Amino acid sequence: MKKAVWSGAVAAAVLLLGSTPVFAQQTANAAVAVTASVNAKAKLSLGLAAVNFADADPDVVTVYTSAPIAVDVKARTTNGGNVTLTVLANGNLVSGATDFIAIGTLTWAASGSGFVATGANNQTTAQTLGLWSGSGNVSGSHTLSLPNLWSYNTGTYTVTLNYTLTAP
Amino acid sequence: MRRRSHPLVFFILVFAAGRVPAAGQTQNATLNASINGLARLSVSSAAISFPDADPDTVPNIQATPGPILLTAKARTSPNGAVTLTVQASDHLRSGINTIPASNITWVANGTGFSNGTLSAATAQIVAAWTGPGVHTGTQTFFFKNLWSYATGTYTLTMTYTLSAA
Repeated sequence: MKKAVWSGAVAAAVLLLGSTPVFAQQTANAAVAVTASVNAKAKLSLGLAAVNFADADPDVVTVYTSAPIAVDVKARTTNGGNVTLTVLANGNLVSGATDFIAIGTLTWAASGSGFVATGANNQTTAQTLGLWSGSGNVSGSHTLSLPNLWSYNTGTYTVTLNYTLTAP
Repeated sequence: MRRRSHPLVFFILVFAAGRVPAAGQTQNATLNASINGLARLSVSSAAISFPDADPDTVPNIQATPGPILLTAKARTSPNGAVTLTVQASDHLRSGINTIPASNITWVANGTGFSNGTLSAATAQIVAAWTGPGVHTGTQTFFFKNLWSYATGTYTLTMTYTLSAA
């Protein structure tokens, strides 16, 4: 009588399952859409919030000169868009109700790429302090000067200068 | 006279009985199972976006809707290399304005996954493994947020490729 050997046949089948087939390179792909939004922005920072000219003898100090005011300009705009920094005085330098020093005598010197090197303040028309093209950030300095004349009435004269950065 | 059973029927009967018959006949049954190479990739999101933000407060913008879940399934030889790459279709583009694709980076989590920087020129490795299996991981994307960018809505397409050698 012959004894069946099915266990051997099953083992062979298992070996076939475990053998190493020849694998061809397989690939699968997927795509993801990416969107980044870049909107217009303008940011301006000044190194000083106030400038004071201490009293001085006009013969000794003929011109009051401030410490340089650091100006940082950051703007995001269209490609080639004009970025403009202007300054506008809220009036003349005034002391009390009647005494004033004409704002046009308060001049500036500026340094830094894109800054207007020299200018005079104005109370009716904003004066361009800097002009750039396109997005970016720049730094410069702004120094104010005022002639120290014997003709001034005594007093404490004040004015506010408003800086405006525009990026379309 | 003994009747001969068909081998397949006999094979089934053997398994049904759960034991080897005391008497029988030697026969061979061949079982062929074809296991071919296969690669399958799924990505949890078809689109990501980077919202606008102030570069001074958010220098690196995280993509929404958050990490992308990647599932890679590969059937390959025991030592076969399985690689997941990603490549940008182009720079980020908005009309004529461009931002380098390399300004997008990712942080990855998951076994075999690695951090990286997107490129439009060369496919970048996202993950690599050896042998067959199922792998999952995440990628969280970041966009370098600079003042120098021109305004616009920038787009590109990332193409993932899963390769099983």
